[in-house]
Amino acid sequence: MAQAPRAGFWATLRAVLWSFVGIRKRRHYKDDATSLDPKAVIVAGVLAGVVFVLSIVAFVRFVVGV
Amino acid sequence: MSAVTPDQLHDDHHHHAPGGLMRWITTTNHKDIGTMYLIFSFIMFLSGGVMALTIRAELFQPGLQIVQPEFFNQLTTMHGLVMVFGAIMPAFVGFANWMLPLMIGASDMAFARMNNWSFWLLPVAAILLIGSFFVPGGATAAGWTLYAPLSVQMGMGMDLTIFAVHIMGISSIMGAINIVVTILNMRAPGMTMMKMPLFCWTWLITAYLLIAVMPVLAGAVTMILTDRHFGTAFFNAAGGGDPVLYQHVFWFFGHPEVYIMILPAFGIVSQIIPTFARKPLFGYASMVYATASIAILSFVVWAHHMFTTGMPAATQLFFMYATMLIAVPTGVKVFNWVATMWRGSMTFETPMLWATGFIFVFTMGGFTGLICAIAPIDIQVQDTYYVVAHFHYVLVAGSLFALFAGAYYWLPKWTGHMYPEGIGKLHFWASIIFFNITFFPMHFLGLAGMPRRIPDYALQFADFNALASIGAFGFGLSQLIFIVAVVKCVRGGKKAAASPWEGAEGLEWTVPSPAPYHTFETPPVVK
Repeated sequence: MAQAPRAGFWATLRAVLWSFVGIRKRRHYKDDATSLDPKAVIVAGVLAGVVFVLSIVAFVRFVVGV
Repeated sequence: MSAVTPDQLHDDHHHHAPGGLMRWITTTNHKDIGTMYLIFSFIMFLSGGVMALTIRAELFQPGLQIVQPEFFNQLTTMHGLVMVFGAIMPAFVGFANWMLPLMIGASDMAFARMNNWSFWLLPVAAILLIGSFFVPGGATAAGWTLYAPLSVQMGMGMDLTIFAVHIMGISSIMGAINIVVTILNMRAPGMTMMKMPLFCWTWLITAYLLIAVMPVLAGAVTMILTDRHFGTAFFNAAGGGDPVLYQHVFWFFGHPEVYIMILPAFGIVSQIIPTFARKPLFGYASMVYATASIAILSFVVWAHHMFTTGMPAATQLFFMYATMLIAVPTGVKVFNWVATMWRGSMTFETPMLWATGFIFVFTMGGFTGLICAIAPIDIQVQDTYYVVAHFHYVLVAGSLFALFAGAYYWLPKWTGHMYPEGIGKLHFWASIIFFNITFFPMHFLGLAGMPRRIPDYALQFADFNALASIGAFGFGLSQLIFIVAVVKCVRGGKKAAASPWEGAEGLEWTVPSPAPYHTFETPPVVK
């Protein structure tokens, strides 16, 4: 089986962000299964987690008017 | 992808397994260990159940009739600890032991001897925990959360509980490491991660959660121990400590723990529904992604358990928003299960009844969870029976119902016989009816203001409490039906085929029923 090209940064981040919603199209998921690098997914997951927390913090600050 | 260790090869050729009791004490076989986990957890389930029924007997009518308030507090505490650490968690590990190697085509768990040790630590912990009832001062009565300063003040029953929690934590961490290594290293050739049954995925993610949070709990209870005996003041305001710190540390463990107890349940249900709907699971990838997402989010919501403890409004809002967002991936899962059933050729054998019952009742628990997530509402219902109703809807109707679904689903594989269908169905209907009679009225009690963890209550709560107590005894007695079903199934009954369910798919159904003592010594090739 030919090795699929490794997913780039944005493709990895896109897969991780979809995981936050919990939805993925079958075609995209099949691409993910062959192209994603697990280490890159973990790094992207931690980054996206931090961004997620910071965006809620920003929203809360907006709501309470700090 | 699969690995066979030298001692496994050795066992193949010179199998001198001891018989009788020593077989069970020395076994390194994943099926034996799985069976022991399941039996242990059921015994603990009955023990915790007896405590629950004593609580409900006391609450049958206002006033003190059966137990003293001090003992009542011990019962509520120990009921929680026994059910969480003794029944639900080991039961899921039992399923993992039995089914994971069969599902991924491995010959056994990766660390077979460590597996034996992880199990045999549990009876020791159980003896410490249950034995603490009989020491001076009785068992801990600080609530299952073991909040300081109460837990700093209790008698020696508290110390026994701390050691029991340590030991159960070690057992869980070892079990989790075993599961991670087994899944990552021992899959059969061709069994890629994205071909794994969803039960394997949910357990893999659960195992990471366990490794991440059990040390946090161990740290929290160790700080209590040193506060109690070694002159520290982590949680003692008089010594410069802060009791609220304990709550933060505990719930940093406690919230992921909720998912530790529910993700494997999602996995079991995701195996059963496609089988009896005779359709592949709708949105397999979504399910994997949703599980990972729930696991990540579970680390940033812990303080929603502490809205009344006191925190700035901005912090309350943060935890409220984060908690409400966790409903999104959970909703995806429920949607996928329903979509799997949509236009499927469904039949409702006992496992499917439990699985559909699970979706129905667990979703109700999920919705009350959303209600509790809203900080201003939570401040009203905190520490009332509303919360008791909520978490029993997710833990009994969620985890326990999924465990029963899985037990009926795989009993033919374990025993080689079909369980008696009529008895299984009776068990389901009795359980779901009595469950709702027990816990649904608790929502009303909570909204009306009845606090939890009290042995006596005001007269206006009497009717719903009597109803809940009747339901609880019905529910408790219904569980004896399960014993009848299992004993009949083990002792005989209709022979089970290798794949007794028409729509079942997966490697576990390719081996004969009962599963031979050693399976997949030559790894299967997955196309």
